[in-house]
Amino acid sequence: MLLTHAETVALALSFKVSLVGVACSLPVAVGCAWLLARTRFFGKPVVEGLLLLPLILPPVVTGYVLLIVFGHHGAIGRWLDAAGVSIAFRWTGAALAAAVMAFPLLVVALRNAFESVDRKLENAAATLGAGPWRIFFGITLPLSARGLVAGLALAFARAFGEFGATITFVSSIPGQTRTLPIALYELISTPGGQSGALRLTLLAVAVAVVASLVAALMLLRGGTREADA
Amino acid sequence: MIELDLALQRGEFSLELALHSSARALALFGPSGCGKTSTLLAIAGLLHPRRGRVAIDGRALFDSDANIDLTPAHRNLGVVFQDARLFPHLSVRDNLRYGMPHAAAKHAFDDVVHLLELSAFLKRRPGQLSGGQIRRVAIGRALLRQPHALLLDEPLANLHREARAEVLEHLRGLKRGFELSTILVSHQPDEVIALADSVALIQDGRLAALEDVEAFRSSTAASGIPVAANACATG
Amino acid sequence: MRRIQRLVACVAVAGAGALASAVAAAAPPTIFAAASLEPALDQMAHEGALGTPAPRLVYAASSALARQIENGAPADLFISADERWMDDVARHGAIVPSTRADLLGNALVLIAQSKARFDLAHGAASLPEALGRDGRLAIALPDSVPAGIYAKQALTELGMWQSLEPRMAMTRDVRAALNLVVLGQCPLGIVYRSDAVSEARVKVLATFPAASHKPIVYPVAIVKGHDDAATRALLAALKAEQARGAFRRWGFDVLAH
Repeated sequence: MLLTHAETVALALSFKVSLVGVACSLPVAVGCAWLLARTRFFGKPVVEGLLLLPLILPPVVTGYVLLIVFGHHGAIGRWLDAAGVSIAFRWTGAALAAAVMAFPLLVVALRNAFESVDRKLENAAATLGAGPWRIFFGITLPLSARGLVAGLALAFARAFGEFGATITFVSSIPGQTRTLPIALYELISTPGGQSGALRLTLLAVAVAVVASLVAALMLLRGGTREADA
Repeated sequence: MIELDLALQRGEFSLELALHSSARALALFGPSGCGKTSTLLAIAGLLHPRRGRVAIDGRALFDSDANIDLTPAHRNLGVVFQDARLFPHLSVRDNLRYGMPHAAAKHAFDDVVHLLELSAFLKRRPGQLSGGQIRRVAIGRALLRQPHALLLDEPLANLHREARAEVLEHLRGLKRGFELSTILVSHQPDEVIALADSVALIQDGRLAALEDVEAFRSSTAASGIPVAANACATG
Repeated sequence: MRRIQRLVACVAVAGAGALASAVAAAAPPTIFAAASLEPALDQMAHEGALGTPAPRLVYAASSALARQIENGAPADLFISADERWMDDVARHGAIVPSTRADLLGNALVLIAQSKARFDLAHGAASLPEALGRDGRLAIALPDSVPAGIYAKQALTELGMWQSLEPRMAMTRDVRAALNLVVLGQCPLGIVYRSDAVSEARVKVLATFPAASHKPIVYPVAIVKGHDDAATRALLAALKAEQARGAFRRWGFDVLAH
């Protein structure tokens, strides 16, 4: 199964966009997940709801919001343009769209992972003189590693398959923003594009299956461990 | 020297305790559920009293009037929890070293390992240890923190007879070898008699009596059996 | 007892039948129409030029609509933005061939924001310059969306496709391209004249010569299995004088038939 040049470009771009997108949303997701798992504050349910928005809103709506905010003349976009780091119509914009759409999945998975870590162990670490950062990186994070990997796998799959927000925000630009799902959409819409569409579909399915397997493996074995601990 | 003056609320259960003791090793003794563990957790900083004061050797760890509330990390206490709480993802060696100060003497680690006979399984993970071994590692970890004081929560609980004897022997050895203020929580008289200098009897969340260990030994010997486990009113 | 039961049953059946036919009669016909027809058809339906009850109007890219109709979507009429997609639907046997007709025509224009200043003194050659350093040309997907296909034909004919292709932002449909110009995200765009007419915030800078691309034709046809009185009446309304006038006002060419 050989791909055309355009299809290869789209595939490589999708990997780049998804990896960068998930990598950038990871620190934010970790912070939010930790706050949700370990702290109490006024308005917490509202924050929880807001963080889930990209999961619930139609992707086109999210894409439109990104366009208004990060596009040229946008509230944030104008500063980016002025600084010469515009993301409108660039792969970085596609990465942002992917990151935003995958973010809720990542937060939910990470939160569950953190909540599954026994706080008694964290307390014990505190009595041994560890500050909050040392506890987080030395105890919480390693013990939630399985959930973390599972969340990353699912978030990556979501980012990889992202379409509606991406095409609305950064359109389709070969080599820059025409990711695999967008290329697939174009092929489906072109009479005679069936064979290409099939190839890309198989690739997309393969990525999704691998991600699901990784997530399932992590979460399954993670479950049995908890019972012993 | 231990100074305790606590008012603690946990659900429906309330605890009010006030005592001063200049004993090196103090035991908090009473039936299960009457607040002993809560007291220990409050001293460690993991539970927050409504009001009161906790000071060890003159150093205030908590004082509601003076607005002092040190974080658990800053209280510099070595806590041996009832459930040991060894870190499952770290080796025994890494568990032991977890709280060790950077400035600790090189031989401190070896001394504790030798004393508690832990050298055979330094590379193992907690999941591969027996109950008694886990307890000893937990004690070693607390000791290696080089704390001002040691807090022991039911150190011999849930151990079968051989492990019990083994750990008790090690604790006796520690008492001889280390000059460390110790607060021990227990509902078993033989532990208390073996390890404490002074005993605080706690019942229903209140201090019933504070006596010398000799007096305690006599009173339990006289009654012939360990203090009856009247369940305290608990939340 | 028996006679009463039979009487009740008859009344019930008659009642249900009346209700069903009332419901069937009340359900308005559905038009699947290319996205570029949205403002025109919406207004015409609102003003009653398309009969009462006003038809249900579904808009999308012609490619998406064609695929849906081929898969049995419940459309009564299909108006495509190009002949190719109507041919495709016809090949799948999903339309009533005798009802197919060329309804409308359109023109391809270059647009910019109304308030923008552009100097196209050198005609098409000044396009790259007009885009500036970072600006992109908004067009619909050039291989699948009719407006994009026509734009590609026109630019190729003018010898500008190669140089402009890397500077393009390709959108899901022509209205998205229009929107990018409206929002100031792209300085220039290529859309239908009807799109430019419908949007006050953009202005036409130039019209592509009709000869530079295949004729823009909007065929209409009745979907197979939906050929009934109501649909025929709707088709007639679309060709009637009131509709023709409205289409012209919205920037379309009305084709003789």
